[in-house]
Amino acid sequence: MATTTATVSISSADLMPGSPLNISASSTLMKTGITTGMELMEMGNAEVAQDYEAQLFADGPATDNGAYFIYVSNNTTEDSTYYIEYKIHETVIGRLYAGDWMFLPYNASDGDAEIEVKALNGINKIEYAMFKSAWTLPAAES
Amino acid sequence: MATTTATINVTSDILNSPITISKTMTMMKDANRTIGLDETTGLRTKKFTATTAAVIVEHDELTDDKAHKLYIRNASTSKANFFYVAYNTSAAAATTAETIGKLYGGDWMLMPYDGNTNITVASSTATETQYLEYMVFADGIVAAKG
Repeated sequence: MATTTATVSISSADLMPGSPLNISASSTLMKTGITTGMELMEMGNAEVAQDYEAQLFADGPATDNGAYFIYVSNNTTEDSTYYIEYKIHETVIGRLYAGDWMFLPYNASDGDAEIEVKALNGINKIEYAMFKSAWTLPAAES
Repeated sequence: MATTTATINVTSDILNSPITISKTMTMMKDANRTIGLDETTGLRTKKFTATTAAVIVEHDELTDDKAHKLYIRNASTSKANFFYVAYNTSAAAATTAETIGKLYGGDWMLMPYDGNTNITVASSTATETQYLEYMVFADGIVAAKG
């Protein structure tokens, strides 16, 4: 069994004056609702051209009700104003600026939940990974 | 100006070559990438004893189209239960547009959030109490309307 652990530390001495903020959380990524660790993943690097909308992850199979996690880091260094829009099926959820990262679950049970990114202000360089409960490669073309 | 940093570390032996991800970001404003986010809704904890969906972040409290960050953690321990998390106007959270995903016991998420639509959640169980911890790092909070 594989073991994948994701931890986060969020801190600020001055966001809430008089109350220093220290959040720490750690999770071992498990397959759907059980105690077996995730054993499948894909990861990579990509450049997204300015104003180009790219599909980062395809729709999940509608029958797959599993646990999934996505990690994306915007590794652009040219200009701090560059960002990508993070979208689920054409709906913009947020802006991931140069230097920012995100880690969140993915709804694989929705056949219309492809993950898309659109680059704004310039070419954005991203690093991404998806940790999966299940994964079937696309069928070969006949 | 406030300085808020977030660091992620992921380690895994899924592949033959061990995976290590380590990144730190400083949360900055949309309009000026040299100024840190200096507002927050505060760190909140909510108890759920039913599967009824609920809005945990009301978008009209936040400025639209900004670089907010949203942190959520399922503070329960059972990996058998989860919360649906959605970016959705109404309180629906499961199989709706757009369900972000499922957060099982102990799982956490940190994502960018534009503040244009509510964030809703729904517990998967009514027989076991679940707790959710969440916080918005805000790039503009709208003053309460009288």
